[in-house]
Amino acid sequence: MRIITNNLRLFWQGTLLSYIALFVWLRPTTYIASKVLMPLAQILFFSFLGSYASGGTNVDFYVIGNAIQIVAVSGIFGVTLSIGGDRWNGTLPYLFGTPANRMMLFFGRAFMHIFDGALGVVIALGWGALLFGLDFSQTDLFALGITILVTTISTCGLGLMMGCLSLITANVMFVNNTVYFLLLIFSGANIVLETFPNWMQIISQMLPLTRGIASARLLISGSSLAEVTPLVLGELGIGIIYGWLGFYLFKWVENQAKRKGTLDLV
Amino acid sequence: MNTISVKNLKRIYKTTTGVIRRKTKEVEAVKDISFEISKGELFGLLGPNGAGKTTTTKVLTTLLIPNAGEVKINGLDIVKDANEIRKQIGFIFGGERGLYWRLSGIDNLRYFASLYHIEPEVSKKRIPYLLDLVGLKGRGDERVEGYSRGMKQRLHVARTLLHDPDILFLDEPTIGLDPVGAREFREVIRDLQAEKKTILLTTHYMFEADSLSDRVAVIDDGIIVALDTPSALKKHVRDLSVVEIETFGIAEIVVNKIRALPFVDAVSTREQDQRQVLLVQTERGAEAVPDLMKSLEGQRVGRVTVREPTLEDAYVRLVGGKS
Repeated sequence: MRIITNNLRLFWQGTLLSYIALFVWLRPTTYIASKVLMPLAQILFFSFLGSYASGGTNVDFYVIGNAIQIVAVSGIFGVTLSIGGDRWNGTLPYLFGTPANRMMLFFGRAFMHIFDGALGVVIALGWGALLFGLDFSQTDLFALGITILVTTISTCGLGLMMGCLSLITANVMFVNNTVYFLLLIFSGANIVLETFPNWMQIISQMLPLTRGIASARLLISGSSLAEVTPLVLGELGIGIIYGWLGFYLFKWVENQAKRKGTLDLV
Repeated sequence: MNTISVKNLKRIYKTTTGVIRRKTKEVEAVKDISFEISKGELFGLLGPNGAGKTTTTKVLTTLLIPNAGEVKINGLDIVKDANEIRKQIGFIFGGERGLYWRLSGIDNLRYFASLYHIEPEVSKKRIPYLLDLVGLKGRGDERVEGYSRGMKQRLHVARTLLHDPDILFLDEPTIGLDPVGAREFREVIRDLQAEKKTILLTTHYMFEADSLSDRVAVIDDGIIVALDTPSALKKHVRDLSVVEIETFGIAEIVVNKIRALPFVDAVSTREQDQRQVLLVQTERGAEAVPDLMKSLEGQRVGRVTVREPTLEDAYVRLVGGKS
């Protein structure tokens, strides 16, 4: 029981303090800009572009797709900075030199970004309603909330894996940007998945966001939670797989750092 | 039983160069070292840059796995029992990094307390006690980014004492501190000695090792070249005197010329503002001064003094005048 309490405390403190430690540089104006203006810019750009390309028939497709895809800002960039920040702060040897439970330490870094990411989606959907008349009158808002939360969790799972790369490469922001833009394509945020060749559709199904975006579109157009449950569970499953892969990568990186002594970790 | 036991420790680093034709090079940072540290002892580890001090410390703090040899701390194996050892040791690497600058001193300690599974009711009492111990009382609520280098180092000490470890590894803890900060830091180390902590201290500063250490190991090129008490090490050079010659802009070629003189045992230089002080070890003492001055003809020379050797001189002799 004591071990569980200790680990939960580590999870909570690690979550809260590491978030403050590594993100407090975001001044309120910078934070608000990243949460309010960036989603606005992305939605405007892709919605007008998509609307123009498709003859203005299905603007909701682009608004919803990009609003949900916004979770990648917190899920990929935020989580990566949370993990990589320890390398840049020089705190990594001190973390690896403690007897702390690595699982709590690792997953704790993503926790705040789940809520942060979900907030970003809510704001983005708000822009969609305000500027493009996105209609929620047929929407099961509870189900949409679950979809947003699960999509954020799954994207954070990918972010945790990307975060481990920040421990072994100095160019992780380049990798992150590439992944972010690949998600814009492969997640189906801006392109109908069925128009992809088969190999691209396979990749789409292996990524987070794909099922989350599909689920959100269905829910906003009036589908029930029961109808989107397979998509939501699939999204969650993808996130868990990436999260676990990230955790094992994290342990591998720690082990390699101690074995080879060639990484920048210690 | 010894608290720390190191037998035939070896640590190799592999480095690769080139993109297409990759070449792997092996560097033996620690070749074969053995030593033991008793409970409550302060053990100094001295050596020039790249001698293997930090590598040894990283192995002892479970941050590097040795390639060969046996390392035990409190009877526990450094590889198999790493997690248990981590509960019993604390460590500091020199420099300002290793803290969350955007957090307050107290929040840094709170976070590390949770990493060491310290109960909140314990850490609530221990954190103010440690801040007081390291002289940061009343400054704990401030963000670390506003701390001076000395304050950051002292916060590191508080961090490393959170779980009250019996064994401490201090890797060049006073590096970069101003003289007052370094002196205050040495006082903290003395307090820890008084608490019977077992301490391994690596340092470049000989007077620090001399004044604090019970025993000193001099490490050079991955091997221990001497291991004894500071006073016994000084006996290595008791037959010598040291001639200190103040010079201005002396060339390496001139230093080598002096090094080649038959009556000179070792030569090192110490930068001091705009000057370079030549430290010449010789059996001839003051009698060597005229010959040395002859070798320095054409050079701008300042004050010349002859003195008794120190631990630093013993160190210079042991590592071949490299520093």
